Amino acid sequence: MTAVWYYVFTLVFFLFDYFILAMGLNIQYGETGILNFAYFAFVAVGAYVTGAVSLPNSVGTGQHYIFGWGIPFPFNLLMGGIATSLLAVVLAFITLRRLRTDYLAMVLISSSLILYDICNNFVPLFNGADGLYNVPPPFASVLKLTTNSFIPFFAAVTGVIALIMWFVMSRITRSPLGRTFRAIRDDDTVAAALGKNVFRGQLKSMIIGSFYAGIGGGLIIQFSGSLNPTAWLPGETFVVFAVIIVGGVGNNVGLLVGSLLVETLLVHLTAFLPAIPGHPGLIEYIDAMLIGVFLMVMLWFRPQGVWPERPRLSATMVRLLGKRGPSVDEARVEADVSDAALNDGSRG
Amino acid sequence: MQLFWLSFGFGLVTASVLAISAVGLSLQFGITNYINFAYGDFMALGAYITYVLNNEVLHWNIWVALVCGSLAVGVIAVILSQLILSPFARRFDKTFYVLIVTFGLSLILLNVMYSIWGASVRFYNVPINRALHIGPMLLTAYQLIVMVIAVVLMIGVAVLLKTTRLGKSMRAMSDNTTLAMTSGINTKMITTITWFISGSLAGLAGSVLGLTEGNLTPAAGELFLFVIFAAVIVGGVGSIYGAMAGAVLIGLATEVSAAFINPAYKLDIAFLILILTLLFRPSGLFARSGKG
Amino acid sequence: MSDVTPTDPTSEPTIATTSTTTSALRCEGLTKAFQGVHAVNGATFDVPQGQITALIGPNGAGKTTVVNILSGSMKCDSGTEYLGEDEVTNMESFEIARLGLMRTFQLSRELGGLTVLENLLVAPKLQPGESLFNVFFRPGTVRRAEQVNVERALEILGTYGLYAVRDDRARELSGGQKKLLEIARAVMASPRILLLDEPMAGVNPALIERIGGYILALKAQGVTVLMVEHNLNVVEKICDHVIVLAEGRTLATGRLSELRANKEVVRAYLGEVIDARPPS
Repeated sequence: MTAVWYYVFTLVFFLFDYFILAMGLNIQYGETGILNFAYFAFVAVGAYVTGAVSLPNSVGTGQHYIFGWGIPFPFNLLMGGIATSLLAVVLAFITLRRLRTDYLAMVLISSSLILYDICNNFVPLFNGADGLYNVPPPFASVLKLTTNSFIPFFAAVTGVIALIMWFVMSRITRSPLGRTFRAIRDDDTVAAALGKNVFRGQLKSMIIGSFYAGIGGGLIIQFSGSLNPTAWLPGETFVVFAVIIVGGVGNNVGLLVGSLLVETLLVHLTAFLPAIPGHPGLIEYIDAMLIGVFLMVMLWFRPQGVWPERPRLSATMVRLLGKRGPSVDEARVEADVSDAALNDGSRG
Repeated sequence: MQLFWLSFGFGLVTASVLAISAVGLSLQFGITNYINFAYGDFMALGAYITYVLNNEVLHWNIWVALVCGSLAVGVIAVILSQLILSPFARRFDKTFYVLIVTFGLSLILLNVMYSIWGASVRFYNVPINRALHIGPMLLTAYQLIVMVIAVVLMIGVAVLLKTTRLGKSMRAMSDNTTLAMTSGINTKMITTITWFISGSLAGLAGSVLGLTEGNLTPAAGELFLFVIFAAVIVGGVGSIYGAMAGAVLIGLATEVSAAFINPAYKLDIAFLILILTLLFRPSGLFARSGKG
Repeated sequence: MSDVTPTDPTSEPTIATTSTTTSALRCEGLTKAFQGVHAVNGATFDVPQGQITALIGPNGAGKTTVVNILSGSMKCDSGTEYLGEDEVTNMESFEIARLGLMRTFQLSRELGGLTVLENLLVAPKLQPGESLFNVFFRPGTVRRAEQVNVERALEILGTYGLYAVRDDRARELSGGQKKLLEIARAVMASPRILLLDEPMAGVNPALIERIGGYILALKAQGVTVLMVEHNLNVVEKICDHVIVLAEGRTLATGRLSELRANKEVVRAYLGEVIDARPPS
């Protein structure tokens, strides 16, 4: 396989993986309004747990880590997702009940730093600053995959998983639960006045989103076989926010578009650029800057994203529910006409 | 016991840096009502401008460089707020947008610094100075001067807020922006001045952080930002005096604990105090009622 | 308290349908201070079952704060609140709502990103589709509940003249439409008691007339209404009972006609309005 195809499939993998990650952050931020600046810490925890449960017992591997149960794919992935969901519960109980948006963001971002600090320094947990490596690639031995054939294979697996998770997420966002999430996002006081338990709603959203983060993270460590703390600094969370904002907040299909634009074009294609001699890392720095600039420009000129959230139309709802036609419509519309005149005076 | 007093001394130094930075963050938060997630990068920027004035090209005296570095960040803060942050804050009434923008600004500033100065550790051009015994504590002259600067600044800020017209307007705006506007306060002007003060304090805090730590890196400010958050929340968000008190508490707690546990975890102590505060006194230990 | 004896609302000879003696909502000695200033200072009153009660008082009398406390949006410093027989003092806003007390907001607070129809669909309490388990494992139950809700929501939108804008995002509505949506949404939640915070503030006279009609219709359906209202003409027309609040206290209660005779009330609030519009 040529190097070009190698890159293409790597891009495909990241496209699907960031689609999953973006769906998770979108339900928290786009649907429920929780500004989770710690999102990538959840991704990392998912990756570490997935890696640590699938690695063999740590004795004799030259690494130090907990678990080491040799659990196969995809069960290791599920455990990663469950672990991040548990983390979400803990953080939610500490923070969600007590803090308004911006303090919540502060505490969450602080939590991510502390997690970082612990993972980096406490070696017995996930091998400290060296991180986990040699995580066994799924199915590689069964299907006799080489390094080259593993990449397109796993990109396809990720695509299938992304599809399933997209289906599940659409069910959630289109359900009354999703509607309640959006009510909380738009005005939590109103939601509470309508009998919605705002904390429980936010908790649910945190758990669902974190599960997605965990799965997305688990896929990353399965794909690359390793993860160390430098891979999940706060800037990474920003990339996922960029995917959501570029794609369109609150729209699952838009997230795939956003993932394509941000993740594959802005983040990974720059890997093809030659390094500037004498300035190691300069390309990456400029790349990160550009993502920041791009996002601000996007936020200013097209805050709804390239593929905006669509309102759920009554006709669709009525059709989906199998309610029989517009028997009431005529009378209603007539009543509304006089209404237009009535409201003209007070528009605004 | 000796160890305790030694670390207590370091704690006072950290508390001084924290107090300067926490007050800068709180002042701006009180006026604009959103948190500036790029504040840590403002600090690092200050440290590097001071570094340039002190080491490269100009070779100014460190204290002169420090003052100029701080004021430069004040100016940069005003420019960035006028060009980027304020337009976003005016356009979108949800805090989300502007918070994400400050988060993005932080990413940009950090990578600008990486691009210019690289990731390697830098040092100020100052003579190595011997530590002095102050009672049971052991501190360098720089650390002592930093503590004096912090105390003077804190008194200065208190006097500014209590006695001057500017300070009273700032307090009024912090309590209720709309009311302040209708009662004839030039809120635009106050906001600009606040950004200048906040930026200058950030620049100063970043520079003295580099001075007391003995080195500087572009990411130092971001790392320190979380400790500032802890101090601000523990003290009670929106309260300047709370921020000062929180700074002293967090500064002492992190350094003193470092004498007894693995120093790699000293930041986690700040976080632990933060969580305990949230669980048992969510409005902060020293909060006045009002904002929050 | 004043030297005026507050009138007992139940002894009032009112029209037959409202002559019930129970109170739907009752509060005693509510207090609430902001930074040392007492916004509410011992408010005590009954809201009679099945009637329309007006809460009036000069600006700063603490009316909105009282509504906030009663609906649980705000915690009071002291005092008690009863919903029927149950004490609900300082319960969470969503718990009070689930017990059947719905409120609207003085400045319309529509859920801006949702369509008008969705705004209503949020309102029904404890929908099966709000449980993750049901969404995936009992889709039939979810669908049936949703069907009932959509049908009912469209019906209410028709009644309130919002049917044509059902698919518009709520933030795009006009001020008057937002006011109507605010009430329609609360009605969708099938309240026993409805707290309306200035439902007619800032709308044109024709719409005031219409909203008044809606409120009377709700009363006919057996809903108890407590409304904060400035416009005494409206109070005169549709309210059975009036509570006057001044400086955070209940100054007097009774029928508007009686209150007009009450010197203290007139001095505190009604003065100029009454002089301008003698009772007809």
